Amino acid sequence: MLSVNFILIACLAYVALLFAIAFVVDRRTRRKSMGWLHSPVIYTLSISVYCTSWTFYGAVGSAARNGLEFITIYLGPTLVFVGWWWLLRKLVRIGRAHRITSIADLISSRYGKSSSLAVMVTIIALIAITPYIALQLQSVTRSYQIIAGEANGLRTAFWVAAGMAVFAILFGTRNLDANERHHGVVAAIAVEGVVKLIALLAVGIYTTYWLSDGLADVFRDVKPEAIIGANGIYGARWVTLTFLSATAIVCLPRQFQVTVVENIEERHLSTASWLFPLYLLGMTIFIMPIALVGLKVMPATANPDFYVLNLPLSQNQNTLALLAFLGGFSSATSMVIVASIAVSTMVSNHIVMPIVLKLQAGRKAVSGDVRNLILISRRISIAVIPGLGFLYFWINGGSDALAAIGLIAFVGVAQFLPSLLGGIFWRGATRTGALAGLSVGFALWAYTLFLPSFGGDLILSQSVLAEGPWSIALLRPQALLGFHGWDPLVHAVIWSVGFNTLFFVVVSSFTQADDIERFQGALFVDVYRSAGGAPSSFSSEAAHSEDLFVLAQRILGAEPARKLFNEMARAQGTTSGLPHPTDTVIARLERELAGSIGAASAHAMVTRIAGRQTVGMTELIDIADEAQQQIETSRALAEKSAELEQAADQLRDANERLKRLDAEKDEFLSQVSHELRTPMTSIRSFSEILMGTPGITEEERQKFVSIIQEESVRLTRLLDEILDISRLESGTSPLVLEPIDLADAVSKAQDTVSGMVRTLGVTMRIDAVDPDLSVHANPDRLRQVIINLLSNAVKYNRSEDPEIVVRSSRNGKEVLIDVIDNGGGVSREDAGLVFEKFARGSSAGPIYGAGLGLPISRAIMRAMEGDLTIEFAPDGTSFFRLRLQMA
Amino acid sequence: MIDRVQVQIRRRKIRDRSIALVIVGTVLLLPPVANLSLVGGWIAGLPPTLVYLFSVWIALVAGAMALARPLEAGDETGHSGEKES
Repeated sequence: MLSVNFILIACLAYVALLFAIAFVVDRRTRRKSMGWLHSPVIYTLSISVYCTSWTFYGAVGSAARNGLEFITIYLGPTLVFVGWWWLLRKLVRIGRAHRITSIADLISSRYGKSSSLAVMVTIIALIAITPYIALQLQSVTRSYQIIAGEANGLRTAFWVAAGMAVFAILFGTRNLDANERHHGVVAAIAVEGVVKLIALLAVGIYTTYWLSDGLADVFRDVKPEAIIGANGIYGARWVTLTFLSATAIVCLPRQFQVTVVENIEERHLSTASWLFPLYLLGMTIFIMPIALVGLKVMPATANPDFYVLNLPLSQNQNTLALLAFLGGFSSATSMVIVASIAVSTMVSNHIVMPIVLKLQAGRKAVSGDVRNLILISRRISIAVIPGLGFLYFWINGGSDALAAIGLIAFVGVAQFLPSLLGGIFWRGATRTGALAGLSVGFALWAYTLFLPSFGGDLILSQSVLAEGPWSIALLRPQALLGFHGWDPLVHAVIWSVGFNTLFFVVVSSFTQADDIERFQGALFVDVYRSAGGAPSSFSSEAAHSEDLFVLAQRILGAEPARKLFNEMARAQGTTSGLPHPTDTVIARLERELAGSIGAASAHAMVTRIAGRQTVGMTELIDIADEAQQQIETSRALAEKSAELEQAADQLRDANERLKRLDAEKDEFLSQVSHELRTPMTSIRSFSEILMGTPGITEEERQKFVSIIQEESVRLTRLLDEILDISRLESGTSPLVLEPIDLADAVSKAQDTVSGMVRTLGVTMRIDAVDPDLSVHANPDRLRQVIINLLSNAVKYNRSEDPEIVVRSSRNGKEVLIDVIDNGGGVSREDAGLVFEKFARGSSAGPIYGAGLGLPISRAIMRAMEGDLTIEFAPDGTSFFRLRLQMA
Repeated sequence: MIDRVQVQIRRRKIRDRSIALVIVGTVLLLPPVANLSLVGGWIAGLPPTLVYLFSVWIALVAGAMALARPLEAGDETGHSGEKES
């Protein structure tokens, strides 16, 4: 025996570990860093919540009493998981597509969101599960008493129930997940799954290889009855138990919770399909040896249900006993936690919330209120379930009635099976059928199995059990209608599940499903077919053609809508008016609308108008997705159109430029022809005079010929200049640039114009040209430009006392050469014009040149990476500025 | 297109095998077939029916393991690809 304190500390440490795991995982989930937690192994281990303390302790007890029969409890689930593709996959798919929160939610959703069905399923689950929870509390209490010798079982049970309630509230209602997923709880349950497997394997290996000499030794001298039981093994009970366990793995609320609701990814199911059977195999492989060794080693008075704990204790293997105790403890706690969460979700969603909302119907609800309300209701429900279990244990505690409760609960939840399977595989199943089947099954289960299990203590007295109510033998609970000689369990299953199925099928085939039910039925049965949740067809009498027409007008536009409706009306053979809203019409309309606003929105709208209330979470999310897509598409379109606008602007600019250039070219051509025309005209007229006038004097002839010659020279110069400027501007013959001395270039230019300067009496001053300043230029061309500027300044100077100043300065890497004269300069209006070809300043006075000098100079400067501009001094006078790059 | 047809046929075969596995397992684990294991004697010191049950069980696990990936890969209905964290 271990010290009480030590065991308490071990238990508390273990529970603290569970809290820590759940806490850490919840936090990581919120940070979206699930990592390995998001793995199929965790999923599989969480399904191991199937193995409760009823398995951990009870299986050995069952093996000691009935031989291999206990294996059926694990064979059923094995078959279901091996065939996952056909049932579990569909359940998981439906669960995910419709955001199913519990088995009650699934059944009620399938049958048109029927609240009566939900309440019924919830009540059956509550009644079946409460004793089951009490059984867990009892096994923890008993094992605690065995290992610690503590007498007060009630107190232990209370603290276990309270502790698990706190855990379930803390981690089961941390947030209101729309999917009801609890990652922290799942991780903790997975750890418990590992603990109980290790504990059971450890005890098994110890008993087989320490207490005995291997498997062969365990089975030596064992009578066949010990293996196959007193009444034979492969009989009706074997089949029934296999069927029940296969049903339980799907229908137990806690199994539905971990398998369907907590499923993170559908593909995890494929791993679980073999890993979970393997886990069960591991859990059961040593059950038979432990039972056989226990029977040999332990005194006949010892309870076989606790061999797992008593065997190590009897050999003073305290550590192993503690491990075994923790294994049993973890089996019990995981069941209590998950069952509490699963059943409380049902109680809260289907019983408490509807009542509260109905009471509050008058008041105006704020969304936050409802949220808080749900949380409070959920928390209270979670606390109530272990509380009920504890109460049950308190009243019935210690009675052996509890031991059988595992199977009784299995039969109870098996009542869900017909409605569940019928719901997802048979479109014809109706709500009335499901209600009828469930009520009959529930009643028969209570009458033939649940109530008799109290041995005459609850409602059915002992005399009723033995002789039937009012002594009618045909109504004996365990031999209904004279159906006797059967095992009570088999009897109960045949009656309850059999009649449940019968009523379900028969009533379903005689009743009519309403619209929403048929609609939901199609969604569930054809869950693989419709990805977006849209059914292939549904009927509607309630849809109002007029409303549909208005809707179509809004979305398609008046004319297309009218055409569509006319066409549909013609197809129906209606001569006037709107078409009758049949399946075809509605489906067609939905398709047409889907083209404009997306399938989900179209479906939601048409459904809304057709008077159905099936716009669920899935549809809303689909609609949001579509809206998001449309927003993104329109954003992309906006970007594209902005780009196009920009491109169009650029094209427009380019076009403007081209037009301007074209105009300039025309202008230039007309200027050129005009300029050429003047000398040509005089050449022609003088040559005509020479040819056609007989009595012309030699002197006259001489004069005319010299005019012709002068004009030809002018013409040639003009053509040279035109060629020059076009060459410069097109850049066909680039100038050779070299470093040259600026002062030298300026003085050479000055020399060239000096004759003209003297003749016209102009004062010319060269200011501050840095003697060592060297620039990057072509010497001849630079001189040409300076000469041009100087001669312009001289020619166009109208001042009394003409003066020209040339000065230079530096601006970083640039050299500036200013040519300033006092001749009036250029007005600001003319500043842009003087560089136009053939243009002359308005104040130019007598014409000296063709007007190409400045354009050529500017072209030269630009070709030398410099520029020629007109600058204005602060006093309004203008001057020319040359820019050159320093060499 | 021949490839696609072959893939389709292979997937169907795998699905057929998966349902066959469940049916064979059920038949083997239930009477009357299971009764055949009730013979006298011992197999390596163990009762034959125990060896039989666990052998079928292991075979089922192995079969499910072999079919799990191909079945999942051949799922044409598309997962409701919700990324859950």
